[in-house]
Amino acid sequence: MTAVLRFLRTKPYAFALLLAVVLLIANIIAQPAFASPSNWAETLAIFAPFAIAAFASTPAIMSGGGGIDISIGPLMTVIDMVIVADLLPHGLGSPWVVVPFCLVAGAAVGAVNGTLVTVLRFQPVVATLCMNFILTGLATQLEGSSTPQGSTWWTNDLSSSFGAIPGGLISIAVVLLIWLGLSRTAYLRNLYATGGDDAAAFSAGVDVTRVRILAYTTGGLFAGIGGLALMSVLKEGEASDATMYTLVALAAVALGGTAFSGKRGSLIGTLFGACCMYLITNVLSAANVPDTWTGAVYGALLLIAVIISAGLASAMQAPSTQAPSTQAPPARAVPAQGSTA
Amino acid sequence: MPSSPSDTPGLTAEAGPVALRVTGLAKAFGPTVALRHCEAEILAGEVHAIMGENGSGKSTLVKILTGVHAADAGTVELAGRPFAPRSPAAAIRAGIMAVFQEVLVVDSRSVLENAWLGADTVFRVRLPEAERRDKARAVFAELLGAGIDLDGPAGALPLSQRQACAIARVLLREPKVLILDEATSALDVATRDRLFAALGRRRAGGMATVFISHRMDEIGEIADRVTVLRSGESVGTLDRAAATPDRLVHLMTGADHLAGGKGAHQRAGRPPTAEPVLRVRDLRLRPGAAPVSVELRAGEVIGLAGLEGHGQDDFLRALWEGSQNGGVLRVSGSAQTPVRSAGQAAALGIGYVPRDRRGESLFAPLSIEENFGVVTSGADRRFGLLSHAARRGRLAAYRESLGIRMGKPTDLITTLSGGNQQKVIIARWLAREPRILLLNDPTRGIDLGAKRDIYALLDKLAADGVAVVMLSTEVDEHVELMDRVLVFREGTVGAVLDRDQLSRAALVSAFFGQEVAR
Repeated sequence: MTAVLRFLRTKPYAFALLLAVVLLIANIIAQPAFASPSNWAETLAIFAPFAIAAFASTPAIMSGGGGIDISIGPLMTVIDMVIVADLLPHGLGSPWVVVPFCLVAGAAVGAVNGTLVTVLRFQPVVATLCMNFILTGLATQLEGSSTPQGSTWWTNDLSSSFGAIPGGLISIAVVLLIWLGLSRTAYLRNLYATGGDDAAAFSAGVDVTRVRILAYTTGGLFAGIGGLALMSVLKEGEASDATMYTLVALAAVALGGTAFSGKRGSLIGTLFGACCMYLITNVLSAANVPDTWTGAVYGALLLIAVIISAGLASAMQAPSTQAPSTQAPPARAVPAQGSTA
Repeated sequence: MPSSPSDTPGLTAEAGPVALRVTGLAKAFGPTVALRHCEAEILAGEVHAIMGENGSGKSTLVKILTGVHAADAGTVELAGRPFAPRSPAAAIRAGIMAVFQEVLVVDSRSVLENAWLGADTVFRVRLPEAERRDKARAVFAELLGAGIDLDGPAGALPLSQRQACAIARVLLREPKVLILDEATSALDVATRDRLFAALGRRRAGGMATVFISHRMDEIGEIADRVTVLRSGESVGTLDRAAATPDRLVHLMTGADHLAGGKGAHQRAGRPPTAEPVLRVRDLRLRPGAAPVSVELRAGEVIGLAGLEGHGQDDFLRALWEGSQNGGVLRVSGSAQTPVRSAGQAAALGIGYVPRDRRGESLFAPLSIEENFGVVTSGADRRFGLLSHAARRGRLAAYRESLGIRMGKPTDLITTLSGGNQQKVIIARWLAREPRILLLNDPTRGIDLGAKRDIYALLDKLAADGVAVVMLSTEVDEHVELMDRVLVFREGTVGAVLDRDQLSRAALVSAFFGQEVAR
C-alpha cells in the first residue's frame, strides 16, 4: 500500500495509469466482449486519432511560457480532408505520397504556430486560435457541397490490422518512437528545461526560441500522423469531424499529469490520460447511460479525475518544499574551513 | 574572514594579458542613460571587482557583456578580438558566462541537468553521460565540500545549494571570463569560501573573474583590482592595496563614510525595562530543535543572524504566520489571541517586509502608489469610493521621510531601482502604523544610499517605540545597528549578543557555535 502511495506521489502520470486500469476493468465487466482479441484492432483504430491528438497537444504545453496549441483538431481534419478529397481521387493514394504529405503539412503548420508564438510573440492561445479558424475554414472550403469519401488498401489496413498487428497500434507506436528518438538527442532535455524555467535556460545558453518552435513543429508533425489515422477510420472528410478533439485532447493532457505551466509533464502520461478519456466514454455507452446524459456525466467524471490528479500533483510538490528545512546544513560548515586552507 | 591584503597572495604581479577590454561603452533605455562611459581592462587570471551603487550601470554592463543588450556606443574586446554577442548563447560560445543574484536553476530538473544546462545544442549531445557525471561530481565536491545527489531535483535543495548548481554550470564550461553578479549573496559563508578557493585555483589557467558584490569584506578578500562605477561612468580602478573601504565608498558616492560606520550609531541602548510588546514562548522552528523563547520590547532593534538556513528565516516567518511546529506568540494587550496567521498578525500590529521583493511583495503590473496603498486602501475612502488624491497625499509623506526617489506616483513600481522599491514596500507597512516591524534582509542587493536611508529609518522607528526585528545577512549591519542579535544555529537560537558584546569576531564565532574572548 505504501508502495502504491509512493508511486502516486513521485510519478505525475501514476494517477492516470491507475485510473486507466480501473476503467479498463470496469469496461470489461460492463461489456465482456471488450476484452476479446477480435475487437482490439477496431478499438485501437478508433482510439488512435484521439490519442494522437492528445500527443500532439503535449509538446507545446511542455515548452512552457503559457504554450498551448488549440489548432490540433482542425489540423487533423484538414489533413484527413486533403487525403480524401484531393489525393485519393487523383490517384495519389500511394503511402509514399500520402505519408510524407501528412508529416510535412502537419509539421509546417506547427512551425508557423511556433513562429507566431516565439518570434512574433503572439499569445499562444491567440495565435493558435487564429490558426484554428483558418484551418476550420479551409476544411469547410475543401469539403464543398458533399462529404467526400474514400479509402485505399493500406488505409483500410490501418483502420483494421496489418497481418496480426492492429493498425491503430502502429500509428500510436510511430508517435511514441519519434518521441523516443528525440529523447536520445539533447532536444527533450532542452524542452524540459525551457518549460521548467525559461529564464534559467536562456541565460545558460539554451536556444529557447528554437526549442519552442520545434515543440509546436513536433506537435504539428504528430497531428499529421493523427490526421492520417483519423482518415483511415472515417474514410470520409467532414469539416466538423475533429473539432471536438481539440479540447478533449487538452483534458487528456491534464489528466496525464502534465502541468499547463510546462513545469512538469510527459508524453506517456498523456497516453494514460487519453486511455482514461476513451474508456470513460466507452463505459458510459456500455452501461447504457442515455445519450442525453452522456455529455454531463462525462464532464463530471472528468472533473473529479482532474481534481484528484491535481491534488496528487500538489502533494508531490510538498516534500520538495519541506526538504530545505528538514535538512541540517550547519554541520557541513565547519569542515569547509579545512578544505579552503 | 580575512580582509587584509596579506592573507591572500595578490596576483597582480603575475597577471596575464588583457582578457577583456571595455572602451567607451554606453547604453541608454529611452531617456534613461544606464551606462554613460565605461572603461575597464580585465586581465587574464585576475579577480576584478566592479563596484557601484545600484543604478551606477553595473547590471547594464553585465547585460551587454552577456549578450542580453547591445551597446549604443563603445567597444568590447575579448582576448584582443572585437566582441558583440547578440544572445547569452553567443556570449557563452565566445567564452563569457555569468551567474546572477537571482538563482537561475530549473527547479523541476535534476542537479546534473542543471549543471550542464545549455551545454548541448538543440539536438546534439556534446558530452557523454558518464563524463558529465564525473565532471559535475568533481565541481560539486569543490563547491560544497561534500557529495550531492546528482539525480535529485534542484528545486528540493536549499537556496545556497541551488546557487551552487548555477555556479557549477559556469565552472564546468570553463569560460575565459566569469562574471559573478551579486552571485555570492545567495551562498552561505562556507560555500562562498569554497567558491573563492575554486576561483583561486582557476587563476593559473588564465580565467578572469569579474566580481560584483555589495559586500566589502568579500571584495577585500579576493579582488586583485577594483573598478568603481558611478552614474554610468567608470571613475577609477584601484589596486588591492589602495582599495580601502573608505576610498571605495568615497569613489562610489562622493560621501566620506559607509552608513553607520564607527560612531554613526548614536542611539543609546533601549532601557531594558521597556514594555515587552511580543512574547514568544517555546517556539519550535523544526521538529527536534530546541524551542525558542524571546521577549521583544518596544523601541528595540533586534537582529537575526546566522549562516544561511539555520532557522533565522523560519523564526521571522513564524513571528508573522504563526508556528507550524508548536509554540505560542502573544502580542501584548491581546493576551488571549496567540498569532496563528499572517492576517491575524497584521491585525495585531505586526508588519512584515519579505526578502524576495519580486516574488512576495511587489505587484509588478501596478503603479508606485497602488503598490504603496494596497493594504491600506480603507484610509483612502471618500464617499465609499477610492480617492487617488488621498492615496497620493499619504504616499507623499513617506516619499519625503524615506527619501524615495521616483518619478510620478502613477509610474509602474518596476521603474524604480531596487532600493526605492524596497522603500515603497516599507512605506506600505508603515502606513499601517505597526507596533512591530519584521524585516527580512531588507538591504539585500540595494545600493548604499538606500541602505543608509533604511538604517536611519530604523533608528527613527525605534525612537518612536516600534519594535523592529531585522534579519540581515551582513555582519556589519548587526554590529552597527542592533540592540540585540539572536544568532541562529541548527534551528534554534545559539547565542544572544547584546549591544556591548557585538563585534564581527563575536558574531562570526557565534555562527560557528563558538564563543570569542572579548
